Amino acid sequence: MTEQLSALADDEIALKDAEYLMAAMQPNSHSAELWSQYHLIGDVMRGTAALSPNFKQNLMQKIDLEPTVLSPNAGWLNQNKADKPSEEMHRKTPVTWSIAASFAAVMVVGWMVLQTQVGDTLTQVVVAEAVTTQQPAAITVSSAEQAVSEQAIPTEYLSAHQASAPTASSYYIQSASYSE
Amino acid sequence: MKHFVLACLLAGAMQCAQAANSEEDWQVLQKAALAARALSYQGIFVCQSGQKTKSVQIKHYFDGQNEFGHNVVLDGTPREVLSQGGDLVIYNQRNEKVVIEKRRGQNMFPAILPTNLDLVKTSYSVRSGDTERVAGREAQILFLEPKDNLRYSYRFWIDKEYGLILKSVMFNGNNQMMDSIAFNQLNLFNTVDLDWFKPRIDHKKNYVMEDEVPTKADTNISPHWTLKELPAGYRKVDQMIREVHGKPFPVTHVIFSDGLASVSLFVEPLLNGIKPRVGHSTVGNTSFYSNVAGYLQITVLGEVPEVTVAKIANAVVFVK
Repeated sequence: MTEQLSALADDEIALKDAEYLMAAMQPNSHSAELWSQYHLIGDVMRGTAALSPNFKQNLMQKIDLEPTVLSPNAGWLNQNKADKPSEEMHRKTPVTWSIAASFAAVMVVGWMVLQTQVGDTLTQVVVAEAVTTQQPAAITVSSAEQAVSEQAIPTEYLSAHQASAPTASSYYIQSASYSE
Repeated sequence: MKHFVLACLLAGAMQCAQAANSEEDWQVLQKAALAARALSYQGIFVCQSGQKTKSVQIKHYFDGQNEFGHNVVLDGTPREVLSQGGDLVIYNQRNEKVVIEKRRGQNMFPAILPTNLDLVKTSYSVRSGDTERVAGREAQILFLEPKDNLRYSYRFWIDKEYGLILKSVMFNGNNQMMDSIAFNQLNLFNTVDLDWFKPRIDHKKNYVMEDEVPTKADTNISPHWTLKELPAGYRKVDQMIREVHGKPFPVTHVIFSDGLASVSLFVEPLLNGIKPRVGHSTVGNTSFYSNVAGYLQITVLGEVPEVTVAKIANAVVFVK
């Protein structure tokens, strides 16, 4: 179980094949604790910056400060926001609160999915987004250059390289895929 | 004034002498490249790369036209390499099976230098050092040093009598040893029979041919990408379309060389749902760099400094 959790955290199991793992990760369970520990270990090894302290509180505060565009009185709220922010806070109805909460939940879940799918750095996320939004011009080489981080050498490419461009020692000392 | 002219003449003469020396040293290397192919020799050499060390028994025979080689790895899992000219057959034991692999051979020790050194001369300079004993034989040390930071340096111990490379060590820019190969026993022979030119068959094992990895030469210029300036001294030496394990589509594989070191470039389209790989690392003597150019995944690796693989990766330009 722990191995599978670790594999999922390392993106070695497809999300669709891991529904039972998701189910096992009930809040406050041992699995959920391991899950967050594995991500923390991964982040530390990759040198990814952790979220700022009080991330959730800060995010909620920022969301509170955002104008909640709801018709029909959205225009009215925007008008008053600039001069009476405190009054705006008082006027928030339970409906707008629940929208803010679900938005925050989407943010957190989205962040987790991006962490597992795309992995290392924020800039990589930007690259991935640029790819999905079909804007090749946005992915300049320089942005990719900034995003590069330490990675293991993929053995499938190393084997291909050694098969077609061998060094004097690679005939006798094999790459990882041939490990004994 | 007189002194100045004298000093100039002296400096000029010294430079001349140096150039002549280096020309002699290049000739020693040229002879080493030929000796490794045109002599018949047998012995044992030790190959070390990173933490791994292997002893290899070698027998190489030249009949005046063709080269025959039989190399047996003596440590760890049995492995044999039979070569005839540039064609290799490798008998690679994996568990209860022996997998027979076919390869194109090049730069097998001690024939690590190309017979044409022109490309090497553009990127490296040579100078001679002391003499030392290797494998019980007198050897001349030659330093092959890069003219820039785009490649590693080499040190060769060359048999003063046979002209063969007895020992070769590769160093990185910080003078750390990256890998080494050295004879600890060597002698010439001149029997003409080829009885030894066969693998040691283990009848208890099952012999299977390797699943052929289809590759085909690629002479087409891709409409989707082009190469801008390559790092100095590197030339494209081969281009093919190949299958890479775990990839649904064939990948374009381009090989670059500076005459000694080789770098592989892999170009493939980014696939929907597969995360783009962006990263770099150096493990042992191999540097790796991957990034994204437009809709393409670029992967570069080779036994060169990281700056070289990065330069080659960034030389790929996506064409819309």
